[in-house]
Amino acid sequence: MSGRWLAIDTATDIASVAVGTGATVLAGTHAQGARRHAAEILRLVDFVLTRAAARLADLDGIVLGDGPGSFTGLRIGWATAKGLAQEKGLEVRAVPSLLAAAAGAAVRLGAVPIAACFDALRGQVYGAVYVIHADRVETLVAPAVVTVTELARLTPVQPQLVVGDGAVRYAGDVSAWVSAAPVPLDQLPLAATTLLALVERAGAARLIDDLATAEPVYGRPAEAQARWEARHGRPLPDPSRPAR
Amino acid sequence: MADVVLGIETSCDETSAAVLVGGGASSAPPPPPELASLIILSQDIHKVFGGVVPELASRAHLAALPAVVDRALAEAGIAWSAVDAVAVTQGPGLVGALLVGVVYAKALAYAGDRRLIGVHHLEGHLFAPAVEDPHLAPPFVALLVSGGHTLLLDVPAWGRYRLLGATRDDAAGEAFDKIATLLGLGYPGGPAIERLAREGEPARFTFPRPMRDEGFEFSFSGLKTAVLHAVRASDDLDRDRPHIARAFQDAVLDVLVTKLERAVRVTGHRIAVLGGGVACSRALAELAAQRLAGTARVAVASPRLNADNAAMIARAGWWRLAQGEESDWTLDARADLPLPGLDVGAPFPHSTFRTPHSP
Repeated sequence: MSGRWLAIDTATDIASVAVGTGATVLAGTHAQGARRHAAEILRLVDFVLTRAAARLADLDGIVLGDGPGSFTGLRIGWATAKGLAQEKGLEVRAVPSLLAAAAGAAVRLGAVPIAACFDALRGQVYGAVYVIHADRVETLVAPAVVTVTELARLTPVQPQLVVGDGAVRYAGDVSAWVSAAPVPLDQLPLAATTLLALVERAGAARLIDDLATAEPVYGRPAEAQARWEARHGRPLPDPSRPAR
Repeated sequence: MADVVLGIETSCDETSAAVLVGGGASSAPPPPPELASLIILSQDIHKVFGGVVPELASRAHLAALPAVVDRALAEAGIAWSAVDAVAVTQGPGLVGALLVGVVYAKALAYAGDRRLIGVHHLEGHLFAPAVEDPHLAPPFVALLVSGGHTLLLDVPAWGRYRLLGATRDDAAGEAFDKIATLLGLGYPGGPAIERLAREGEPARFTFPRPMRDEGFEFSFSGLKTAVLHAVRASDDLDRDRPHIARAFQDAVLDVLVTKLERAVRVTGHRIAVLGGGVACSRALAELAAQRLAGTARVAVASPRLNADNAAMIARAGWWRLAQGEESDWTLDARADLPLPGLDVGAPFPHSTFRTPHSP
């Protein structure tokens, strides 16, 4: 028996929110345009909860897009989940955003290798390759910052499809790897509805034990941090000191 | 009227939460609220970079904010169920940092069916002394000085602000940071310069007081250049460093306080409020009190309320809520949020701006 979850994904240009029980979506909606995410996210949450006649207290938990993706976008989804879950101690789980995109394509293709690529700029993508089975997820290549060509080299079997804005942007590299045309995100089911389908599937989600301090998988350090670490040859020191 | 307001501030590199407890709606007007707790988590990481790195600040806010809020509630002895409203800094500030606070605050308000109010960061600074001094009320003049702002305001009433002057280039706090870097003192610059200046002799160096004798506007770039020349000309910077710090601080404070005096004289107000991070400077508060003695009372909050903090945001939010204002779920962070109620028109004839004889 599946529980009832609120799903939130803000990793890409499309912010989506849904309420449902596993494969059954009770309500879902979205807003397009990264600059609208912060203003719209609570309205989206309110819309789906109202439409599903659900209250936060009735939920089994919240499932989030874990990243990688837009740094700011991820924080909007995560800050929303932290604020919604904190008082009532709701369970929170996170599913890789690349997996959500691949699973969107798997709805039609079934349990075949599918690659997902989000544009990471500078000629690179956040890329991963999955096989989504009915009861579990098989990760062939875990999320990494790579070029499409590097991702192809890392992948043990040829995927049937490559999805995501990174696949579209580097369509030339994708065509040298996979014969099918890359599929943009807006042609896939909403990420939030896919999160609902994945949240209770083996190998798909990580449980967020300490929600207060948890962070999404950004995929990359901040640029200033990367430069500092490259220059000094060691990790940046702990970013905070005790509260006063 | 909100009895218990949770304040949240994430506009720059301080993650802060505070709880204000009001006196209830049984009396009219209701008594001012009292501060029940204030937690400020400073992000030390930026010292490595000599300034705030916005992306790192945003990440640190997300990782720290819920625990900071939990601690603020625990220290106040307030249960979630008792929180009536959430006040959050909407802007101005670093937009990525603001977004974390705004979205999180909206979700907290939504989850508990609470009222929500977005607060202008500078209005928070104006209310900061009122957190500790419940009887502080306009009319007053306010000098807001921080790393991001240098503003002189005429405040005839809460919510009504007339801009007297602002900086044409660097903010005063920014000038402190830059000179501290130049002198090898690290970040943030204000406290480091104030400490070193205590060892300096005031007459060893003399720096210009830009625009001191006219109007209400500020400019610190020329002063910065003069200090740069002095540093370059020094044949023994270790020897000269405290004296340069002293002369620089004296020049900045002289300009700030001279214009504050002028604003008090022109407006006739009997209170002068100092706010913002630079108002943590004891030297500034002492000079202002000395030069305004017999003319106006200088109201300055304790240092933790002058730094970026959530208590001042909760206090300003409490006042806005008391006016019947409320934000909706579409509240968004704005890096360039205009100060509500700000009148930027020239309020006085230009001739009144000049000081006939400088102090």
